[in-house]
Amino acid sequence: MTALVELERAGFTYPGARSPALSDVSLDIAAGDVLVVTGEAGAGASTLLLVATGFAPRVVGGKLSGQRRIAARRCGVVFARPWTQLTGLCSTVRDEIAFGPASFGLPRQAVLDAAERAMRELRIAHLAEREPSQLSGGELQRVVVAAALALDPEVLALDDPAAELDPEAADALYDVLPAIAAAGKAVVVATPDLERAARVATRAVTLEHGRIAARGAPADVLDGTEPALVARAAGCPRPYPLDVPALVRRVRR
Amino acid sequence: MIGCEVRVTAVRFAYGEREALRGIDLAVGAGERVALVGPNGAGKTTLTRLLVALRRPTAGRVTVGDWDVATKRPDEMARRVGYAFQHADQQLFARTVADDVAFGPRCLGRGRAGVASVLDELGLGGVADLHPYDVPAPARKLVALAGVLAMEPAVLILDEPTAGLDRVQRSRVVAALRRRADAGVTVLAVSHDLGFVAEAADRIVAMREGRVATDRPARELLYDREALAALGLRPPTTAQIGMALGLPGSPIRAHEVVDALRGTRWKEMPE
Repeated sequence: MTALVELERAGFTYPGARSPALSDVSLDIAAGDVLVVTGEAGAGASTLLLVATGFAPRVVGGKLSGQRRIAARRCGVVFARPWTQLTGLCSTVRDEIAFGPASFGLPRQAVLDAAERAMRELRIAHLAEREPSQLSGGELQRVVVAAALALDPEVLALDDPAAELDPEAADALYDVLPAIAAAGKAVVVATPDLERAARVATRAVTLEHGRIAARGAPADVLDGTEPALVARAAGCPRPYPLDVPALVRRVRR
Repeated sequence: MIGCEVRVTAVRFAYGEREALRGIDLAVGAGERVALVGPNGAGKTTLTRLLVALRRPTAGRVTVGDWDVATKRPDEMARRVGYAFQHADQQLFARTVADDVAFGPRCLGRGRAGVASVLDELGLGGVADLHPYDVPAPARKLVALAGVLAMEPAVLILDEPTAGLDRVQRSRVVAALRRRADAGVTVLAVSHDLGFVAEAADRIVAMREGRVATDRPARELLYDREALAALGLRPPTTAQIGMALGLPGSPIRAHEVVDALRGTRWKEMPE
């Protein structure tokens, strides 16, 4: 599979920062991937999303080191704070989601189709006529994900996308990610929510202090889920079960 | 710290023509740890804003101890009720983390008393001298919470206090809330994070479409799969493990599940 993004010993330092937020990261991201990036808060997961999608340093400033090649024709990023992504120009959710494709100069019907499709995928058709500024945090989160999807990006990067969502909406959001990847896109998710991440990830990376500390199959990397931690504390041998059914299967009755 | 009762009686609230709260009755006593849960748009945040006079009800009454909130301004309410917003950046403005946390106590005439210990309690000691916007977003959330805790309010209201936090940070928040509640502080936390709710709360009030849909002990509701499903919720991982293995005592906290599983004979590899 051709890589959509290639990083080779990449590093990044924010403007004015004394030390790099990301160091020596080598990573390929390809179509079909649901790559989960995790780590303790401040480990560099959000920064990796910005670097991999070209937003850093182009939008945020700062200094990139190492090699980066972005072959994807378009990357979409959904930030952890959804209200920062509203245009502030649209009085309905439908218009907000259509804003991106419309700004590319697509024909009117194509713009509307893209918006409708994205709303369907995120299950927010019922919000179409609502005013974006009046949505709850969780509703807004889904709107900005839909707006990013409507741009038809080849790489969709999501920064802690379920942070504002209720559990049902969070499950629904994670559930659509494999389908997005299967449609030929790469999905990159930075999240501390290891249990949901473990359900959808095809690959996972753990960062520590801006460096890759672990990479590989979700079962090997995402072993900090609550079932894994509980099982470990209760004396279960490795490999630790990542989810509840796996833990239950390990108990010898 | 001495807490006081928060009482909401027949409260209604509307954003323009859209009614967000449709008759809420709720009382939270001193020292109680209550989680407010429910789907997005249920009215949770709106309700908490009425408790600190950031919004005024269109009908009904809100009292905090012997204060009628209708007669108070938000700055007066802040002396009794600490409110940590869902989005921390809405309440950070000083040049350093320590100054930001000290702002509240200074306004109350207490100087910087307690600031260092609150920073340490939330693991922020190492960033005290940094600008709040130079620390990662999850840490900023803790800075905002530290600022609220440093004021030693009688009532703590937290809106999604663990969103974006990692496991260590989350456990620090849980411990801080337990300490305050043990000292008599009234704690009300809005959260979608039922893992956090299981660790931090003893009682759960669930809202739906602007009404209180359910109000039950946490240990009871978190084991009621059907009631949770009706609210669009699933049991937290701890309760799922407890249910699946029939663990005694309905454990909802991680240490309780670990205790219940000690002595288990594990299969070496999954089947």
